[in-house]
Amino acid sequence: MAELADTPLLEMSRVSKTFGPVQALNGLEFSVNAGEFVTVVGPSGCGKSTLFNIVAGLEEPDDGGILRFKGQSCHAAELLGRVSFMPQRDLLLPWRNVVDNAILANEIEGANRKEARAKALAMLPEFGLAGFEKQYPHQLSGGMRQRVALMRTFMFERELMLLDEPFGALDALTRTMMQRWLLDVWQRHRRTILFITHDVDEALFLGDRVLVMSARPGRVKMNCPVPLPRPRHADLVTAPEFIALKRQVLDAIEEEAMKSFTLSTGAH
Amino acid sequence: MSRSTWRGIIGTLLVLAAWEGAARGFQLPAYTLPAVSDILAAAWRTRAALIPAGWLTMLEALSGYAVGSLLGIGFAVLMAVVTPLRGPLLPVLMAINSVPVAAYSPLVLLWFGIGVASKVVMVALAVGFTVFLSALAGFDRVDRRSVDLMRSFGAGRAAILWRLRLPAALPLIATGMRVSTVRSLIVAIVTEMLGAYGGLGWIIYQAVVQIDFVQVWSAILVASCISLAFFGLVGAIERRVIFWR
Repeated sequence: MAELADTPLLEMSRVSKTFGPVQALNGLEFSVNAGEFVTVVGPSGCGKSTLFNIVAGLEEPDDGGILRFKGQSCHAAELLGRVSFMPQRDLLLPWRNVVDNAILANEIEGANRKEARAKALAMLPEFGLAGFEKQYPHQLSGGMRQRVALMRTFMFERELMLLDEPFGALDALTRTMMQRWLLDVWQRHRRTILFITHDVDEALFLGDRVLVMSARPGRVKMNCPVPLPRPRHADLVTAPEFIALKRQVLDAIEEEAMKSFTLSTGAH
Repeated sequence: MSRSTWRGIIGTLLVLAAWEGAARGFQLPAYTLPAVSDILAAAWRTRAALIPAGWLTMLEALSGYAVGSLLGIGFAVLMAVVTPLRGPLLPVLMAINSVPVAAYSPLVLLWFGIGVASKVVMVALAVGFTVFLSALAGFDRVDRRSVDLMRSFGAGRAAILWRLRLPAALPLIATGMRVSTVRSLIVAIVTEMLGAYGGLGWIIYQAVVQIDFVQVWSAILVASCISLAFFGLVGAIERRVIFWR
């Protein structure tokens, strides 16, 4: 029984992915435990998005890689519909209002539309969208659109949530507000989250663990636990423990960024 | 009414005034340019002939428009869903479309007769291609990432088509349908001129044979009124349906 409880929710080992002449991932190894908030950082072009597409089920890794979900070895395609995925852009459908955008995934599952709408309506205040149910995406601000997209991801109740730089397009102030708010929501719903970002502060502030990826071909260069207490507050980012962790992570990223820079410019 | 509507009305009135002034001032003969007032008077005088002719042409154009739009959208959906059909079918359709539709009219008149059917077929042909091409472009324009998102929710092809690709293609389908309104009337009238039992095209043809150019102009006047009304109606529906643009 103890063994079963210890089984990670998601496990990847020796996962590689090649696109023609380009090797995006090479021998990627990591695991995510149930209830954990894991963040992934790395230099641009390190294959973070490829990693996400595999976990979302959109792309198959090269032969030889091992992918396990709840202890079961599986193909990436079997993860379609089992992971709630939020891409970088909100990708709201402009012809659907806030509520109907939020229940899109439930509708595809075949849920009763009326019930799904009622559930979404009840969730609106938590996502700071109370009173906006009838608005259309073009009437909302960037931060609100992102919250609708997050709500859609939360409404699609799956054990694993994949968030791909969800706050990347927001201004700095809105972003910190959204981070605190996300932690709040996560603490209440206790989902497992895999979260991509290129912002080290964000990765440390949110995560239980930060995975630093290497330059292309991507693999996990460093697995950095973040033993900072929760609930986390805004002033955490200036605490000495936080700064010490940040230094470690930044050093690792810096090394990789230099590598990919040297590779791309051909300098020595 | 909005400012641009007022500007349009004032502009049209100015052009008509200049026309009237030129026709009267230079005393142009009717076969060059009759005065606007003469055309209006002739239209009123011959209303007993123009109104049923206008109805007939409008019905032909509308039925052809409906058939053509449905076929155009239907074919585009088919090719968006069954992509292997594209390779063999698209070149054939493009070849048919590369010739002006009017070139097919003698054949269509031969096959479908001088009556209403041939006009409907010609209009459907003209409208169908325009709507088909814009609808196909609309289906292709859908964001790859949105498709991926739907797939990650476990959506199959039918769900992606119904919930994403069809609504995403609507703006371009609507543009094609709006442009086709004017085309449908033009094609109906041209086909009538080549052979018909009635309609505005037939009136124009008869008037030319009788060297009655004021009558030609009064039929043109009725045709452009119908055309403008149709265009305006479809444009208004488009703005209501595609509110998010």
